[in-house]
Amino acid sequence: MNAKALRIGIKRGWTEHTHLLKTRKELVGTLIGTVGVFAALTLWMGDSTIEGTGVSRITFMMVGFLAYTVFGTALMTLPMALVTDREEGTLLRLRAIPGGIPAYLAGRATTALCQIAVQSALIVATGVLLGGAPLPHDWPTLAWVLLLGTVATVPLGAAIGSVLPSRNAVGIATLPMIALMFTSGVFFPVTIMPEAVQWVAQAFPLYWQGLGLRAAFLPDAMLAAEIAGSWRLPYVAAVLAAWAVAGMLLAPPLIRRVTRRESGSRLAARQLAAQRS
Amino acid sequence: MSYGSAEVLRGVDLEIRQGEIFTLLGPNGAGKTTTIEILEGFRKRSAGEVSVLGTDPGKGADAWRARLGIVLQNWRDHARWGVRELIVHLSAFYDRPHDPDELLAAVGLTEQAGQQITRLSGGQRRRLDVALGIVGRPEMLFLDEPTTGFDPEARREFHRLIEKLAADDGMTVLLTTHDLVEAEKLAHRTAILAGGRITVCGTPAELAQAVQAPSRVRWVEDGRERAVTTPDPSQTAWELHSRFGGPVPGLEIRRPSLEESYLELVGRNA
Repeated sequence: MNAKALRIGIKRGWTEHTHLLKTRKELVGTLIGTVGVFAALTLWMGDSTIEGTGVSRITFMMVGFLAYTVFGTALMTLPMALVTDREEGTLLRLRAIPGGIPAYLAGRATTALCQIAVQSALIVATGVLLGGAPLPHDWPTLAWVLLLGTVATVPLGAAIGSVLPSRNAVGIATLPMIALMFTSGVFFPVTIMPEAVQWVAQAFPLYWQGLGLRAAFLPDAMLAAEIAGSWRLPYVAAVLAAWAVAGMLLAPPLIRRVTRRESGSRLAARQLAAQRS
Repeated sequence: MSYGSAEVLRGVDLEIRQGEIFTLLGPNGAGKTTTIEILEGFRKRSAGEVSVLGTDPGKGADAWRARLGIVLQNWRDHARWGVRELIVHLSAFYDRPHDPDELLAAVGLTEQAGQQITRLSGGQRRRLDVALGIVGRPEMLFLDEPTTGFDPEARREFHRLIEKLAADDGMTVLLTTHDLVEAEKLAHRTAILAGGRITVCGTPAELAQAVQAPSRVRWVEDGRERAVTTPDPSQTAWELHSRFGGPVPGLEIRRPSLEESYLELVGRNA
């Protein structure tokens, strides 16, 4: 990717982000959908604590929502955006332009980063101001886990968006991700799950993202609820980095394949099919 | 060119000259879109030789893309963007783009500059698509069925716009249409694509001559109505006059319109 395409792409991503902020449906879906639900939970849970630790339940939940925001934006919102862009002809438009596709991808990544940043900030603000949760005691860990978690999932999301044929397919592909959400220890301690489920959860980035974020926010008194009773930060780094590399290797050929196949007649056929259904 | 199991294009031999408006005319399903997509580099051909601005479209890189403008049939993209916002964004990709405001004026969208694209009417949207197609000052512009769904007034305006662009910038325009009248009005030259092959190619006058279907000559003889179909009605009339030694009763010569001729030609090749 050359510097010009990257520059145009980042600007494009920012513009699309501002469009999303102006779209009511989008605002309701993403902001109220996650931040709103979290705020409601915060009010409902009050200041109950997890027995024997002095840690409020809200703090644990806040970290879970933070992990889920990154995961959901990268692996559900981003693929949906890619498929929608394909269906509406945005991808084809940029294919017809010199340097259009690299700029498009840079734009999509920028929008995803903006969404993650805004939602993360709102979740932490809600947790801290409304629920009395503490700020992280380990800011560097928070920063690198959020960043590496994003880098681990955004290319993967781009790959998923390139493979799935339609928006309905994205909806179906979301189901296992929701299952993962409940089994990866972000909303309930992973150690209450059967051991087999724990092993599956540990294969995916969501578990490690959550673990790293808990390390940044929660005191060591919470370690009893973790596998091996440790924050295992080197493992967090290694697994997330491995997913990042896998995504970066996987995404470019899949994106190239799907862009090469785009043409006006494919677009027309898809739109016709959409009208009929 | 084959597409799936069916061969779509069999004999498409075309040479389009720099600076001309060329229409590819044919009924739906004749292979117009396939042809134009091969030229745009959006579709691989299975055989044959193609060169667009001196480059094989299958191997065209960004520098080649920068010299092309493409307007498709079904664009509904960037619905949330503002009209001017999108023109400015896409112009950034090119080295010497048109000024966005001049371009908006040229396509008659100055009033809609700040409007969201999703709120444009069909005709406005198509004019925006043309503006986006030419924002990089392309040497060659592809338009795939650009006036489908236009009312006559919008169509006339659209034709004026294309003529002006081609005349001012020396841009080569290739346009597909299934409307003979459009081809006749707009194009310097037209090729008719029917049944996957080019059947006729030339100026509107040449086209009219080449597709001319036989005329029908009718007269009354021995109290009965007679009729023949002939490619040369003048000759037939002369022979009748000679035979009658004077006026021919009920003589009527009907030359088919260009449109009827075209439909006949398309029917033969379908």
